Amino acid sequence: MIPFARYLKLSALLASGLILCAHGAETPQHIDVKQLSKKVEDVVVPLPNEVFGALNKLGSINWKEYVRSDKGSNFTERPRIALLLGTVIADGFIAVQAEDAPAVKEIGQRVQTLARGIGVERSITQHAKAITEAADKRKWENVRQELDRTQNSVQQAMNEVHDEKLSQLVSLGGWLRGTEVLTAVVTKHFSTEGAELLHQPDLLVYFQTRLQAMPEFDLAIIRDIRGALVEVKPLIDVGRAHISSESVKKINDITTRLDNGIVTRE
Amino acid sequence: MRAFVKALLRGSFSIAILLALRLTVFASVDDAQSFALQAAEPYIKEGFQVREDYWGGDLGSGEKKAVRQQLFKGNEYWFWMGTEVERARISVHVYDSEGKLAEQPDGWEKGHFAAAHIIPKSTGSYFIIVNIEESPEERTHWALVYGFR
Repeated sequence: MIPFARYLKLSALLASGLILCAHGAETPQHIDVKQLSKKVEDVVVPLPNEVFGALNKLGSINWKEYVRSDKGSNFTERPRIALLLGTVIADGFIAVQAEDAPAVKEIGQRVQTLARGIGVERSITQHAKAITEAADKRKWENVRQELDRTQNSVQQAMNEVHDEKLSQLVSLGGWLRGTEVLTAVVTKHFSTEGAELLHQPDLLVYFQTRLQAMPEFDLAIIRDIRGALVEVKPLIDVGRAHISSESVKKINDITTRLDNGIVTRE
Repeated sequence: MRAFVKALLRGSFSIAILLALRLTVFASVDDAQSFALQAAEPYIKEGFQVREDYWGGDLGSGEKKAVRQQLFKGNEYWFWMGTEVERARISVHVYDSEGKLAEQPDGWEKGHFAAAHIIPKSTGSYFIIVNIEESPEERTHWALVYGFR
């Protein structure tokens, strides 16, 4: 005879098993990607800390080496400010990885200044304050969250006034800085797993498409980025093959050059 | 007196209908996002960082949509979907770039909430398929958020 409690447990297990089976039976194991392609939405650009998190799991990294908190140049051209803003937010994520509170606070202020330069300061004032407070208390999870909120609020504010292109440049600036640091880390301690994190061909195509739709931003840095993405594409779009250490180094050279172009006045 | 009560009742009824219509009109992707975030809430305690950015829109009953996302090997991801239409039944599933189901078996669907879990075997693009399985509404707002650790 089965005791009542055990009977109940068995019934619950059976019921959940049935539910799981039903769930599994309804879910196709394979879909035709070509059929879907027309309905595919735009990609959401990953934040730098998403790739840094994966990188961290491959071994310890001295993030302090990559922290940058200098004020850099001031620009008046809105596309340049947008690119720089994305780069500076990425620097914020690096400073969080390094748990460098003074750098995080400086970056928070810099973000606010840049946001003012493109008229979206109001959207991020509370986040900038929260970044400083969380950095003071060394609550790194909260800083990460506020950096994400900052980027999101800036981009939403831009989208609301139909500045979607500037919003895309913020994402691009962050992606370039993130890729520069990723390749610097992997160049230093090469592993195929680390290099695999560069396998982002769809993101690259996404940025290429977006840049093609910005002919009005006729700036040297935008032209440089357009050209550089063409160079990077074959290095990361390798299908099932591994990304070589030479490719990683080359991408690092390219992204470092672009980053210098973004942060310094020509 | 009875006429006054009748008029009052009729008036209240009209206001209630107007309010209901107003709620329907103003129900939006933002409401759907609130439900998606509600589904994500318990996972934050488990160390998942939930992104502020999200996907959203509206779909008819039985309609699907694919969103594409770059995932990194080494991270673990949950995708949470929600809608404000309480009587709707929704689902979300994750496929790799070749169209093969790539999710963990612990994804779930509970009425107007659904979630899918993936530990990517490789870094690259994945397809997240959102589906309004059933809905009493002609168009159903949906939102999809994701988190990683």
